[in-house]
Amino acid sequence: MRVMVIVKATKDSENEPIPLDMAANADMFEAMGKFNEELVKAGIMLAGDGLKPSRVGKRIHFNGTKRTVTDGPFSETKELVAGFWIWQVRSMDEAMEWAKRCPNPMPGPSDLEIRPLWETEDFGPAIAAQENELRAKIPPKLGQ
Amino acid sequence: MHVMVFGMATKEADAEPLPIDMKAKAAEFEAMGKFIEELTKAGIMVMGEGLKPSRFGKLVQLDGSKRTVTDGPFTESKELVAGFMIWEVQSMDEAIEWVKRYPNPTKGPSTVVLRPALGPEDFNFGGEIPPEEKAQWEKMSGRDK
Repeated sequence: MRVMVIVKATKDSENEPIPLDMAANADMFEAMGKFNEELVKAGIMLAGDGLKPSRVGKRIHFNGTKRTVTDGPFSETKELVAGFWIWQVRSMDEAMEWAKRCPNPMPGPSDLEIRPLWETEDFGPAIAAQENELRAKIPPKLGQ
Repeated sequence: MHVMVFGMATKEADAEPLPIDMKAKAAEFEAMGKFIEELTKAGIMVMGEGLKPSRFGKLVQLDGSKRTVTDGPFTESKELVAGFMIWEVQSMDEAIEWVKRYPNPTKGPSTVVLRPALGPEDFNFGGEIPPEEKAQWEKMSGRDK
């Protein structure tokens, strides 16, 4: 199974300057770099990215055919996403073991939310075939 | 640039039975399938996934060396994620143009959030980005594949 590990934003992450001050965050980046390397070696890591603070984000509200665009920042800081991973694991228990070894990505208290992904078997064989066909068309070189 | 496109959960989406009733959802799935095909043809689509309802999820709170695990569902949350895509676009304006064509994934009102991903240029090393840092970032974000 695959899980998405969502790193929840904090006030600190939302106030982060762009570009990030690497000297001030050196310890966290070193610990996180080591943890990522372990995930890669164990074959757990499928993808991961950090998101810029919500002040450079946008929100689109859909209602019928209406689309309303709002600029960031978004105020519900505790509910915002600061980053994510996709992990390949055998069970939620395995995901929790890894999550507990994750270095705290923030200077203060912070939260990780672990959510299993919909897999093709959740949709039945017809959709599974369609989905696999579509996925095969996505070029394997991410972002290049 | 990479932009992460979050489909935010509605109450109905978070209460979805498993497996999903494809007959009841046929119109939404067809519209979304067509849209994803367009994104793919245009070279915008990097990846996308749907998340199972939050009752299957877990929350880990980190505080110093303490780790506290809570089981889902997260009913108190107003801001649950139901799914996401990652798009490769030239600008936020281009992302907005695409998102306006995004089919509403639910029968009622819903919200999509666009957030740019951090790139190597967003890390201030006080000079050139060290090559090992760039390589590690590319590995972590899957850009080396």
